[in-house]
Amino acid sequence: MSMRLSAKTLRHLIVIGLIALWELLPRTGLIPELFLPPLSATLMAGWTEAAEYGHALVVTLYEVLVSMAFACGGGILLGAIVGSLPRPRILIMPMVSSLYAVPLVILYPVFTVWLGIGSESKIAFASIYGFLPTMLATAAGIQTIDPQLLLAARSMGATLSQRLVRVIIPAAIPTVLSGLRVGGALVIVGVVVSEMLISSAGIGYLISRYRTILDSPHVFAGVLLVLFMAIAFNAAIRWIERKAAIWQTGTRAGQAADDVSSGVMQPAT
Amino acid sequence: MGRNAMQPLAKVTPLKPPGRAGAIEVKNVGQVFKTRSQDVVALEDVSLEIKPGRFAVLVGPSGCGKSTLLMMMAGLRQQTSGTITVSGAPMPQPDPDRVGVVFQEPSLFPWLTAEENVEFPLALRGVPKAERRARAQDALKLVGLDGFGRRHPHELSGGMKQRVSIARGLVQDPPVLLMDEPFAALDEQTRMTMGDELLRIWAATGKTVVFVTHSLTEAVYLADEVIVMSARPGRIVDHLQVQLPRPRTYDMLSGDAFGALRDRIWRHIRKSA
Repeated sequence: MSMRLSAKTLRHLIVIGLIALWELLPRTGLIPELFLPPLSATLMAGWTEAAEYGHALVVTLYEVLVSMAFACGGGILLGAIVGSLPRPRILIMPMVSSLYAVPLVILYPVFTVWLGIGSESKIAFASIYGFLPTMLATAAGIQTIDPQLLLAARSMGATLSQRLVRVIIPAAIPTVLSGLRVGGALVIVGVVVSEMLISSAGIGYLISRYRTILDSPHVFAGVLLVLFMAIAFNAAIRWIERKAAIWQTGTRAGQAADDVSSGVMQPAT
Repeated sequence: MGRNAMQPLAKVTPLKPPGRAGAIEVKNVGQVFKTRSQDVVALEDVSLEIKPGRFAVLVGPSGCGKSTLLMMMAGLRQQTSGTITVSGAPMPQPDPDRVGVVFQEPSLFPWLTAEENVEFPLALRGVPKAERRARAQDALKLVGLDGFGRRHPHELSGGMKQRVSIARGLVQDPPVLLMDEPFAALDEQTRMTMGDELLRIWAATGKTVVFVTHSLTEAVYLADEVIVMSARPGRIVDHLQVQLPRPRTYDMLSGDAFGALRDRIWRHIRKSA
């Protein structure tokens, strides 16, 4: 317990240290302010242009949320089909796996030609970008379910739909969530990168525009916003994981699992 | 847990309909696996009868089809020819009311607690929560896991997991318990303890037990009767009665009667392997 606490405290100290360095290094002149403006200057820049950043954030968040719905919904659905049926798996999986290695950003200019430079092209690009890992993880999660668990369920008289709801889905949830974590992060990357490349709105667009006029504080204010978005996304996924654990184990047992993972109980021999 | 430790026993439920409940009859059963190149005869003309309440052990070399035969008794697999009846009726599909199954791997659902795992077959049939919990408690008490119901499988030792698995097999009170090498993955000491535990549970419940194992010592130690099979195609080469008195004790392992039985089984297996 004390180890756990001290690791947490240490993590907090590292974050506080980095924040302090962000302020102090440019102030003392160790790093030129053009490369890294002090944290206070960055926050001030964001504050004075709050309306502009607020508008950009709304655009970016909208694109991220719609892309996530496409990427995660489509990825889970197709992953489940591909993972549970051998024939589509043989047909599709090698293609998807090799596609995964292609830097999809090369397709983005094509999307802008098809869909324009508005939100649609960002959503299309980010959806495809986040879709692949989600689908691969879901397929893997369903494929790697211990067949012995399904046999045991069958021996207890479970019907096909009972096996799906009570065995296959709960067994696949951890892998699917790890896929969502990667897929969702890539959606954020996809939206911001495509905004930086060709667009007229969004945080990526702001970062890119302020960069061309060498306005570092405003660039870093945009970077901070993206950082907060990523942190918020991570927190949301953790919340879902916790909910899923509680749902999987039944309300109170889920809480008990948390107690256990903190090392309160030890297995007896 | 000591070999002779007194366990609090759950109330003993008598076998439901007397007579054929718990009886197992296998008549001229054959099993052929079709592969792309050839047909493999896994079982050929297997016939046997196990009376209610008996502890029968299936032994034989690897690939003799003993697990296949057990899966057919469980309704998890259908024979190519012949008939199998359990409590007087065939097993076209699994029926947890008639047959409980315990596998080599405990096959517990890792996201459920021990008691939720035991409740699982009841939950499948929509038994109300309170009744489910009460029956799971009884079953866990029977296997000596009173007070461990809230733990998840990863917090239990190998022997404890297998006890949960046995409790799950017994929770619907079927007259027959089929066990496919249930202790094979356990270490020697745990295995001995679990054997004694199983005999205690068996004595307390009066189930018919069919137990598959590779261990000849385990076979003779546990069994009323040992069914010896040969490999490829699987046939029954001997069906011997173990007349050793009960309760079985560790001292019997070194006795002449025990050794003679084990030698007899070993000679069959050596011949066919």
